[in-house]
Amino acid sequence: MEQTAPSALTQLVFFAPALAGLLAWSLGRGRPVVSEVFAVLGAAATFLVSAAIASRVLGGEILTGWGLELRVDSLSGLLVLLISGVTLPATVFAIRYMRRRRLLDDNGTDVTDALLPRFYGLYLLVLSTMLWGCVTNNIIMLYVAVEATTIASGLLVAFYWDRRALEASYKYLLLLTVGITFALFASVLLYASAVPHLGGTNAMLISELQGVAALIPRSLAIFVVALFVVGFGTKAGVAPFHPWLPDAYSEAPSPVSALLSGAMCKMAAYALARTITIFFPAYPPLTVFIVVLGAFTMLLGGIMALVQDDLKRLLAYSSVSQMGYVIMGLGFGTYLGVYGGLFHLLHHGVVKALLFLCIGAVIYATSSRSMSQLGGLGKRMPVTAVCFFIGAFSIAGLPPFSGFMSKLTIFVAGAQAGMWSAVGVAIFTSLLTLIVVVRAGQAVFWGSPKSPALTLESVKEAPASLYVAMAALAAVSILLGVYPQLAYPLLNKATLSIAGVLGH
Amino acid sequence: MEYNVRLIETLSMLMIITSVAAIESHNLKRAAAAYVLQALLICGLILAFAAGNPALYVWALTAFVTKAFLTPWFILRYIARTGEQEVPAIIGFGPSVVIASVVLISFYKLTHTYVHVLAPTPEAAAGVFRTNLAVALTVFVLGLYAILSRRDAIKTVIGLCLLENAVHLSLVSLAPEMTETALIGIATEVVVTVYLLLYVIAGIREKIGTTDTYELAELHW
Repeated sequence: MEQTAPSALTQLVFFAPALAGLLAWSLGRGRPVVSEVFAVLGAAATFLVSAAIASRVLGGEILTGWGLELRVDSLSGLLVLLISGVTLPATVFAIRYMRRRRLLDDNGTDVTDALLPRFYGLYLLVLSTMLWGCVTNNIIMLYVAVEATTIASGLLVAFYWDRRALEASYKYLLLLTVGITFALFASVLLYASAVPHLGGTNAMLISELQGVAALIPRSLAIFVVALFVVGFGTKAGVAPFHPWLPDAYSEAPSPVSALLSGAMCKMAAYALARTITIFFPAYPPLTVFIVVLGAFTMLLGGIMALVQDDLKRLLAYSSVSQMGYVIMGLGFGTYLGVYGGLFHLLHHGVVKALLFLCIGAVIYATSSRSMSQLGGLGKRMPVTAVCFFIGAFSIAGLPPFSGFMSKLTIFVAGAQAGMWSAVGVAIFTSLLTLIVVVRAGQAVFWGSPKSPALTLESVKEAPASLYVAMAALAAVSILLGVYPQLAYPLLNKATLSIAGVLGH
Repeated sequence: MEYNVRLIETLSMLMIITSVAAIESHNLKRAAAAYVLQALLICGLILAFAAGNPALYVWALTAFVTKAFLTPWFILRYIARTGEQEVPAIIGFGPSVVIASVVLISFYKLTHTYVHVLAPTPEAAAGVFRTNLAVALTVFVLGLYAILSRRDAIKTVIGLCLLENAVHLSLVSLAPEMTETALIGIATEVVVTVYLLLYVIAGIREKIGTTDTYELAELHW
């Protein structure tokens, strides 16, 4: 049986990056190196705290803070580890990458160095707010944290401050805020309907709400789930609420894209999993609705990815598609389904961050991200090419990479649940994904350069700090594919923390 | 608990009227003024409900600072720099008023009639709380209508503010006992979001010389 233990780690995990971010921002003025040092140290320290949390959780503890306000069970532990684990290499990658493209103000003065402290400050604040969302046990604060991630990252999306980036940032802030307002409404309704059963204070605690979900009137429960799907689903990139996503992911600087895709939409999926699954036991037909939503999302994302020329938009639509698998897995509602969904969440967080960093390395070398202009980079950028193909094959679900194991789990779960049409859509989308990524890899790394600029001497392999970050993520993908049992203890416990709700 | 029913119903009706005024006024300053009026009405409504629940005084104060002061201040400061005239909407003034009226009457009727679907407790479905919920949802839909039908970015932000006002107003019926930290968190975030949106819109205006969101068409598919 799991034991509840108060622990300062629950606060440290989001205070540490927030503090590091404020220091990077304030002390880094005029000295970008200082902000870079604080950024890497902050991300590394956060990762260590997360690892400590994960090991405590694996030992059978549930960590709490501020009474029951913060609560880290194995599901939160998994997310905390994933988010900080993806952010660390992305931060290392950012150091050289963000100095490459020089930003000029209206007078033509180079202002890049002056903007970097703000960049790293916000970067770590995004990390902090994401982690806060994963450790809070308060349903209203969960909304506050999800909206806080949007606020903190809005200016990162607009960082390049050109027409496209501003357009993306405007849509990002507006659509996500409108979307998340639905989640606030849902949270408030859920809270209000639980007050008569739990009392004013306890009705805010997600851990307590699980017990009373069955007592909520049927019509209200369905309404609340629908609002949560719109609210957190917008943030997670669930179709048809995804239109902001390809804009934001593609116009943000690549390390930010990695953060948005690798960590932030995972946090939103976590929020969705935390909230809607509590209604599954009392209202089983909901699971079918979620599975259909997942199937629609994966198919739409897969088809849209197929027609892209911009590599980052392609990856963004592929993210939409892959989130469909996560949602479908959760929707099956069985142990294996949820396990597969969470495994896919872990896999996709790592691999999509890897792919965004690989494309970042290509942009670093060539200043282009358009498939129709690139080509033949494999010889000049061998490490990037290898990392990209590891990520590509993994996301397409080929063995021996992580995507194979996670997708296989979802297929089997679907078959066990008897939802063969869902499995069919999932397998079909998998083939689509394979076409999408192999075509992209072939266009960028094989063949001959399609533009004369690519034959220049300056087009060469990215510097070591970039490919170390990529190689680390690629190694994790292989590791999870070859030894899926490595992730088993944490995934198993995390699944049971949801499946316990499901009554399995 | 005794509520001043007539006061609450008058303020509620005025809430809806100010929403329509904020949406339909083509002069952005006047739209912002309508928004300020609405914010003050919300504070008044919350105070009226506070007669039965003193915890709501904190909420009224928070709403006053964030909605009636900070948010309009940001918006007016922006308008002072950019001019008062709205980029014309897709729908002309006459048809838009008709659509808004039809939306508000039918939606108010709908939510007032089927309030039990939404109301988490029997108390929230009765008397003044029923009016409150129906008004909140009507303003919510009007806010959505503004966001979907207006081309001017500032107008869209005002629509977003209406949307948020609606949800915050519903807290009176739904969650009167919520803790202060949660209330302040909810209210602060909206102000920060509005500030950031205006900051980004200022950047857009600088780059492309307009706040017409239809000009934002670089990114599609």
